[in-house]
Amino acid sequence: MSTAAAPTPVMDRLIARTVRRHRPLSVHFDLTYRCNERCVHCYLDHEDHGELSTAEVLHVLEELAGAGTLFLTFSGGEIFLRPDLFEILDAARRLHFDVSLKTNALLITAERAAHLHELGVRRVQISVYSDKPAVHDAVTKIPGSLGRTLAAVPLLLRTGILVKFACPLMTQNLGDYRGVLALAERLGVGYVFDLTITPMMDGNEGPLALRATTGQLMTILQDPVLNPCRAPAAAAQASPAADAPVSALGSAVSSGIESSAYEDIPCSAGHNSCYVSPYGDLYPCVQLPMAAGNLRRDRFRDIWEGSPALKRVRAVRESQMPVCSTCTIRAYCERCPGLALMEGGDLLGAYERACELAEQKARLAGVSDPVSALHLQQNGRSLSETEPPCGKLRTLEPSLV
Amino acid sequence: MNSPSAPLWQKNPALAWREIDGETVIISPGDSVMHELNDTGSFIWKHVDGQRTAAEIAALLRSEYIVTSEIALADTEALLEELAGQRLVVLAANGSAGDSSR
Repeated sequence: MSTAAAPTPVMDRLIARTVRRHRPLSVHFDLTYRCNERCVHCYLDHEDHGELSTAEVLHVLEELAGAGTLFLTFSGGEIFLRPDLFEILDAARRLHFDVSLKTNALLITAERAAHLHELGVRRVQISVYSDKPAVHDAVTKIPGSLGRTLAAVPLLLRTGILVKFACPLMTQNLGDYRGVLALAERLGVGYVFDLTITPMMDGNEGPLALRATTGQLMTILQDPVLNPCRAPAAAAQASPAADAPVSALGSAVSSGIESSAYEDIPCSAGHNSCYVSPYGDLYPCVQLPMAAGNLRRDRFRDIWEGSPALKRVRAVRESQMPVCSTCTIRAYCERCPGLALMEGGDLLGAYERACELAEQKARLAGVSDPVSALHLQQNGRSLSETEPPCGKLRTLEPSLV
Repeated sequence: MNSPSAPLWQKNPALAWREIDGETVIISPGDSVMHELNDTGSFIWKHVDGQRTAAEIAALLRSEYIVTSEIALADTEALLEELAGQRLVVLAANGSAGDSSR
């Protein structure tokens, strides 16, 4: 009788079985949309429209623990604006969650850092937009914010808490990514760069004006430091082994849990992860605005198992997407279902930004004249009319022999 | 049944863990290493509470699974030893079953 399993592929197995059985392994819980910064690219409105009370949050935590959630990320807004934050963290740790925080760190003091460690918070992700105060502070609109944010880093590190910088890249700070990288390495913290700038939650597309063009992103896409594995085959077989090359380009809002176990589904959203808003609204993901229910009205388990929105998300298979499944450069694409819905209006559809980025990445990987299926359609050409990947000629017109 | 000095183990309170569909995943915070217990390991883990000795947990295991007393005790002790070696379980404040404080 064996009792302990080998520890190495644990995460992949865990993801595979929680996806298969639809267990909410990972939950992103925004405790507030209020914030003490006013970042130019932010998708939130910073108002309190009736946040969950302390008791309501604790009740949700109990439901999540009962449903099988292990990875719990508290975010916002700025979570340290909740006066009951430590009470919530204490309750979360008593329920044995693996707790991560996302914060701008402006309100982290030595005492608070020690308290976080004492409670067992494992990771803190901090938003840093540049190594240059003028650039960072112009993004946050708070003078002196970079200095205050960075002051929290050694306070956290000396307790043993893992720290990671999250740096959304936009026109304002595009040239500073190497500086942020060097700063992170100097301080001994991790980093993730995110190319995603989304519309606001109310649909306002103002932040999109801050997006760098795909042409402007070329430097980043071909930087070997950020993209140690560009070949699609390697990406598809990425393993959780410690020495596997991992791209520093990712999502600053997602759980960051990547796995080949997702196979034919677009991502974890609604399968083994979800998002809870400060008002108790449940969504498949913070970037997928399909409300599944409200935890003030209904039990988590009832929403998770019965919501038509979640069932619809779970039914999506990449191989059945009408446009993307036919795309020859699909392996280079990081299509997000939420952005497909927000920007293209179709959960199953292709959208411009993803196609542009996929084409750039394919070009950098050596693909000759890469064109996404969406652009082929837009150009009035069908896939059957293109040169097949094997390089053999295909006759488009009936031949006269 | 208990040895006078049978240790009492409890789960390390610093851990994150969850039982999902009968299998338990444990994360140790210091090194962020993930550990996994199968169903019988999870059964033992569930009963590591700072109150029960290995023998008492093994007796519970025997009542739940078709296994001899000897194997149940050997497996329980082996797992507890392995868990203790990785500091996933630690000695309870009351130490051992033989402690006068118990």
